[in-house]
Amino acid sequence: MADLGFSGKTEDREEKRGRHGRDNRGGNKRRRDDEDDDQYNNRREERGPQRRRRNDGRREDNTPRRRYEEPAFAKARRQILNIASSTKLPQDEAIEIAEFLRDNYDDEQIQAQFFDVFVQLIVDQPFKIPFIAAVAFYGNQIKPEFTVQAIKLVGDRLQEALTAGQWRDFKLLLRFLACLTPIFEEDSIFALLGQLFDTVVDLQSANENDVVGIELVKIILLTIPYAVVSGGSRFHEKAQELLGSTGIVAGNLLPVESLIHPYDAESEDKVMDYNSVISLLQQQLTKEADSGWKVACIPKFHADALKRKNPEDDTLPAVSPMHTFPTLTIPSPVNPGPKPLFPEAYFSLFASQEILTVPTIDNIAASLIRDAIVDTIDQLDFNRDVVAKFLVDLDCYWSLDTFAKRGTALDKFREETEKTVYKPEDMVIDAIFSLLFKLPTPEHKLVYYHCLITQCCKVAPAAVAPSLGRGIRTIYKSLHAMDLELCHRFLDWFSHHLSNFEFRWRWTEWLEDLKLSNLEPKKAFIIAALDKEIRLSFAKRIRSTLPEDMHSLIPQRLDEDNSPDFKYDKPETPYASEGQMLLLQLRKKATHDEVQVTIDKIHTQAKEAGIEDILVPSTDAFVTAICRLGAKSLSHFLSCVERGRERLLNIAQESDTARRQIVASVVEYWKDQPGIAVRIIDLLLNYTILAPITVVQWVFGDYMGAGEALTESWVFEMVSNTVTKVSNRNRQIASARLQKGLPAEQLEMVEGTLIKDRDNARELFKYIEDAVGGVAQGSSDVLIEKETNGELSEEDGKLLRAWGKRWHAVFVRQSAVEESIVGESALEARIKFLAAQPDPEPEADAMKVDDETNGATEANGDTIME
Amino acid sequence: MAPIRKNTIDRLDRPSSYATSKVTYTAPSAMKLPGNQRRDDELRREPTPEPEDKLKDATTLYVGNLSFYTTEEQIHELFSKCGEIKRLVMGLDRFQKTPCGFCFVEYYSHQDALDCMKYIGGTKLDERVIRTDLDEGFAEGRQYGRGKSGGQVRDEYRNEFDPGRGGFGRAYADEYDD
Repeated sequence: MADLGFSGKTEDREEKRGRHGRDNRGGNKRRRDDEDDDQYNNRREERGPQRRRRNDGRREDNTPRRRYEEPAFAKARRQILNIASSTKLPQDEAIEIAEFLRDNYDDEQIQAQFFDVFVQLIVDQPFKIPFIAAVAFYGNQIKPEFTVQAIKLVGDRLQEALTAGQWRDFKLLLRFLACLTPIFEEDSIFALLGQLFDTVVDLQSANENDVVGIELVKIILLTIPYAVVSGGSRFHEKAQELLGSTGIVAGNLLPVESLIHPYDAESEDKVMDYNSVISLLQQQLTKEADSGWKVACIPKFHADALKRKNPEDDTLPAVSPMHTFPTLTIPSPVNPGPKPLFPEAYFSLFASQEILTVPTIDNIAASLIRDAIVDTIDQLDFNRDVVAKFLVDLDCYWSLDTFAKRGTALDKFREETEKTVYKPEDMVIDAIFSLLFKLPTPEHKLVYYHCLITQCCKVAPAAVAPSLGRGIRTIYKSLHAMDLELCHRFLDWFSHHLSNFEFRWRWTEWLEDLKLSNLEPKKAFIIAALDKEIRLSFAKRIRSTLPEDMHSLIPQRLDEDNSPDFKYDKPETPYASEGQMLLLQLRKKATHDEVQVTIDKIHTQAKEAGIEDILVPSTDAFVTAICRLGAKSLSHFLSCVERGRERLLNIAQESDTARRQIVASVVEYWKDQPGIAVRIIDLLLNYTILAPITVVQWVFGDYMGAGEALTESWVFEMVSNTVTKVSNRNRQIASARLQKGLPAEQLEMVEGTLIKDRDNARELFKYIEDAVGGVAQGSSDVLIEKETNGELSEEDGKLLRAWGKRWHAVFVRQSAVEESIVGESALEARIKFLAAQPDPEPEADAMKVDDETNGATEANGDTIME
Repeated sequence: MAPIRKNTIDRLDRPSSYATSKVTYTAPSAMKLPGNQRRDDELRREPTPEPEDKLKDATTLYVGNLSFYTTEEQIHELFSKCGEIKRLVMGLDRFQKTPCGFCFVEYYSHQDALDCMKYIGGTKLDERVIRTDLDEGFAEGRQYGRGKSGGQVRDEYRNEFDPGRGGFGRAYADEYDD
């Protein structure tokens, strides 16, 4: 907790504590955190205090004033939604709900609405699947109609998910049925799993790079343990058999996997080795099979619990009714789904730590708990408050002895010997970081994971903050071995996170690293983090949060709230008077011709000085003047650009060198606040004053030096933004191409654009890869020169090569990813799949993409690419 | 199209009741009315027939509870984490033309605006918890505060001292002056 300096009293949680006494009587065994219980109805309440005060009479729960009979549906809904969140034994709770449903089954509202809630709960709240399956299981003994209907509806939804390639929904619905394995006839769910595996075989033999099959194998493997736990020994053999066949696929390594390693495979300092999710699952399950399928973490329910509860009840059937497993049609070809699929790496910060707080990677608990956490997070991105609560309550949803008490200090895990228990906070932080660091692309915008971590820290600061602190230190220690894109995600998260917690971080422990060369990844990280913090705040504030020794990292100049100096104010600057003149003219909104006179003066002098491209000095003066005049805010800058737009576009047409000078001038003017330069370059790209290749050529041709620029995070940001812009645009065009029933002339136009833009993107990638590859191999001219003349030490040379290598890895991956989405063969496959679909119903999504694409071609400042 | 299903958990990307019931803003000339009355009027008015309809493609957000000192650059830095920003309009004091603690952020896509509601609303910027709300779109005139003294109405009658928003409420500040 001291890590991030929480006082333990964040926000206004404290006063609310204990207000909802309802389910909070439990002792340590199942300790709940109910403090944020009102998030369900009290969202986004800035005017909170008054409202809360009104509620503080705490009459709702403690002393009901008048009898109020809750309608049956409302009660059933409340019970099922809150299952496993109270101190009741889950088994008793499931039976209670089943009995209530039996007693009220004929209620109209229950008939009409309850099943919707029930099925939606499966996909919304993955943690609760075993528990709601238990309701259906016990329901089967006392009201089989309920269970029959539930199975039918889940089956329908399962088919729907399969047809649409909604793999996560598919997996979760399948898990529900797996938890009901004993009440299905014959092979139960294993027949379907076998069928799915046959599909995998077909897919894999048709295409060696197939990823859909991999996704299916993952789903099969994650379903088996749930089926075996509920089905018991009757199915051990079946599971074993299936596991025998999945082995080949799970053990196979796809070429693309080499691109998604979170850590440099060759480095000794990596936090963990690369393991694909499915290869781990296969190993873990094999181990589990050898030890008799205990699968300790999955909650278990007794089949005869009802009998035990009511031993006298004769109405209970001796044998519960059995059902046929819903029949599913696996479409051919299989729909790969709306999102591009990739193999997944298993990422864990804590799995290979000295003190074990999370399951080791050969333990099935690692995959099962991770999978459920990840699904909870990614399914519920629309309410981070609730997700944070679920995560803090993680121990409620697994069998009783899985976790240590919440907030148990790390030291306690050192002593633990008898049985292994896990630290819930570590597992949560581990899982969130795995999502933040998912390659090639995260499921949601990264900022979702940022705000989720923030929320977890708010809900349970004392428990979560220490885990987070250890996570940060673990990452920091191996920064140099981590994928560079991930380093930037970390940097972005770190600075954003601190901005939500008064910028408190124990910087003193990194003071030692200030001595390092700026080329060292750790030092580069510190410098970049401060810059990012300042961007979200201001220099003086950030300085006040730092130890004295770090103050020199923030330029003194930034403390005053002035615009950066205008270099033409200094008389020794070449073209000083013309530069000043241009500023004056821009300020007074002089006419084009008047400005041209000044520009011509620069041209004349430049010619006399023998400058090759006279447009370069005039562009420098013009752009710098715009920067100076627009320094007050981005809006000011934009209105200045509007005024000079025509001239800037002409420059862009006339000379590539001068066009690159635009970038150079902006960066030079904003050298102490590179974030603003990055933002401005982005805007100039939208105006097509710059082309993506201009930015890239300036970075790698003009600015990179021997590779020193590669260590500056804003340079990566600028290149990365530019590339992303191009890639997004191409993806938009590609999806426009994938619309069914596109008229011939439009088709031709879209194809034409796509071919041209795809080639441009390839050129862009190639330029980057060649440049950074040159540094990586030490073949770059400047690098060789500086090393020979002693400007760079051998040590520095090594560091630069390493940076080159890390840049290279990032852009090789990004380029491969784009090929796999908009490349010819990828698109061809999608088109073929589309043609095979029977129903040419225009989809709302596709239409929207079209709108966006059209919008982009208008000259409205939108993304226009040349 | 798949049927629309209701989630078992509330969504954070819904517009507030204020945004849904708000009558489309029309006349900038109305700005000359005493500001606080206007807003109250709107609050009392009946919701339009299909309140969420006009916001179903909204790409603009109203952002509130900013510090007067928060800059465009800071807002850009945070809000571009949810997508590229098309336009940013700072809320200004009607008379002084200085920032008065709110702004409009416009994205290119509706989804980005929704994501912003989910991921940024209720988090901190410049160490203040900010509020986001879907908005039907910026119109000229709306960048100005509608309080009597030029800023936002909420800053007229605030009892608490808020250093980021000009201290005490301005109405009271006037009293102290008298």
